[in-house]
Amino acid sequence: MLPKKNPFAFNAKARMKLCGFLCLIPPLAIGIRLFYMQTFLYDELSNKADRAIYNFLKEDRLRGQILDVNGNYLAESVRTHSCGINKRYVKDKEATISFLAENLPMPKREIEKLWKEKGNFFFVAKKIKPDVYMKIRSVLRKPLGQGLDLTPEYERIHPYGTSALDILGEANSKNKGLSGLELMYNDELSQDISKRRAKRARRGEVIYDRSLKEEKSVGNIYLTIDALAQHYAEAALDKAVQDYEPERGIIVVQEPSTGRILAAASSPREDGQALAFQFAYEPGSTFKTISIASALDSGAVSTEDMIDMDGRKWEVAPRVVLQDKQHKEEELSIADIMALSSNIGAGKIALELGSKNLFYYMKAFGFGTKTDINFNGESKGSVAPYSKWTKVDLASKGYGYGVLLTPIQLVSAYSAIANGGYLMQPHLVDRIEYANGKVDKKAKPQKIRRVLKESTTEQMKEILEYVVVEGSGKRAQIPGYGVAGKTGTAEKVSKEGGYAKRLHVVSFCGFTPIKDPRFTILIILDNPKKYTFGGTAAAPIFKQVAEGLLTMYGVAPDQPEKLVQADAKKK
Amino acid sequence: MKFIVVFLVAVFAFGVVMMRIEINRSGRAIGKLQTEVAVKEARNQYLELENARLAGPEIVSQFAQEHLHLRRTPPQKVIVLED
Repeated sequence: MLPKKNPFAFNAKARMKLCGFLCLIPPLAIGIRLFYMQTFLYDELSNKADRAIYNFLKEDRLRGQILDVNGNYLAESVRTHSCGINKRYVKDKEATISFLAENLPMPKREIEKLWKEKGNFFFVAKKIKPDVYMKIRSVLRKPLGQGLDLTPEYERIHPYGTSALDILGEANSKNKGLSGLELMYNDELSQDISKRRAKRARRGEVIYDRSLKEEKSVGNIYLTIDALAQHYAEAALDKAVQDYEPERGIIVVQEPSTGRILAAASSPREDGQALAFQFAYEPGSTFKTISIASALDSGAVSTEDMIDMDGRKWEVAPRVVLQDKQHKEEELSIADIMALSSNIGAGKIALELGSKNLFYYMKAFGFGTKTDINFNGESKGSVAPYSKWTKVDLASKGYGYGVLLTPIQLVSAYSAIANGGYLMQPHLVDRIEYANGKVDKKAKPQKIRRVLKESTTEQMKEILEYVVVEGSGKRAQIPGYGVAGKTGTAEKVSKEGGYAKRLHVVSFCGFTPIKDPRFTILIILDNPKKYTFGGTAAAPIFKQVAEGLLTMYGVAPDQPEKLVQADAKKK
Repeated sequence: MKFIVVFLVAVFAFGVVMMRIEINRSGRAIGKLQTEVAVKEARNQYLELENARLAGPEIVSQFAQEHLHLRRTPPQKVIVLED
């Protein structure tokens, strides 16, 4: 008997249906899985894919340069790298350390010591130069380089060493300005670090894409400072510091017609600490120029007036006596008061001018107000309201005591006398040039206000020239050039109260050539250890700096006849 | 006709794939070159800065005084020629 036929086994149609059904199962399962992945696992998987395909590059822009007025580099950034070791991933410790010792300026012993002392990750070297960077980079994907890490950084380089460092300030390895101009103009010099997506190849190389084209927005800052003028000022100041050992030294050079600062040297030279803008002091006799110019301008006194010296002992108020020991005259003209630096004369003239008027002129000259030069930490000095002044206060302000001012304020005031009576806005930044071609001009000559009549400035120029020719400023004379200026030797306030006889600020402020003044120069030596005076210490420094500047700018002598006379005398 | 359409689509698809591969390959080469350029620029920048340092007023005046025994001319002796 034949076995009973299985109806399914011999039914081809049914078997095909079954096969078809079985074949459908995997695609269906794949479809369901794909659906699940596309909907529920989308975020996780797309992130994974992005990480595999793309690199996230840090927008790495070099910090802008700081240059002098002629385009000489004062500060520039370069890309460097730091090399670190992640011990956990190092395959062959011995080989890796040997490789690093061969390429880095570091002995093998020292690297081994760091390996022992430090934790899992540590930096072996910083500020790696490009050649070494390339060598280390070439082994990063090989077993030898596993565990090594190169972190991009920046190094701020000052080609002229510490020159103008007090003005420039510092920027750190992360491109951030920390002090001085670097801090003040941080937004213009740097660009925010952001991330950009770039395609990545198998070994981690970046695949260039048009979207990766750099869009630079950093700017280069051009200062009004002239590197050579700054060098002259710093060299002269360094020499003065060596000779007189002052606590601080300051030299400021300004162009009187425009208000531009050509040089501003400080000692000690510390980043971001520009004493020309931050140091406030009692000026002493250099301030007589301001009080006497104010008195002449207001008509309180005239150049023909003779001032009684009261036997060189003047009782300003009960028990307050002023003495002039430097002369034996009973009467002095205004010019002689300046040439002999008579405190009695200047005090009496201040009384003649009156508190309100002197206060008005001081404010007009810009004392007690920031100059808006826009330097971090600029001091505004101090001028008390005139309603609080006593007779003694008024007289002492006449010869530069009881008022605090900054070097930049005083040099701007002298510039106003030099340029015919206008207080000019001082400038430190000439322009900012952005990478996209935009230029932001900052140092346009800007008259703040007229402070003195032109006729007063002419009288003051003659008086200040007389100070240099016949008076205390003789050592500032430059053959062939008219020099106008005033010396100052001020006692400093002592910690015990009152003024200390052995603590001094010696100074000289003046301009040259007189006919068409090109440079206003202020020299300050604060508390020199070696006892000295403005006329003996500061005036020769003025001469030294001025001669350098006149030579450098090719300024022709404005008094050639004096040059001929000097030559004839020599012969 | 059907075959021609399929063939053309296949050729087009092949072209697109090849183009993508070529773009990626060139991109990679450019990326490599850019790294090299960046390193060379950095090296060049160091040299420029060294040049600026050597041309700085302090170094030049020191060299002029110590090695060439020069000294600064007084301003009265400078003759300026103007156009």
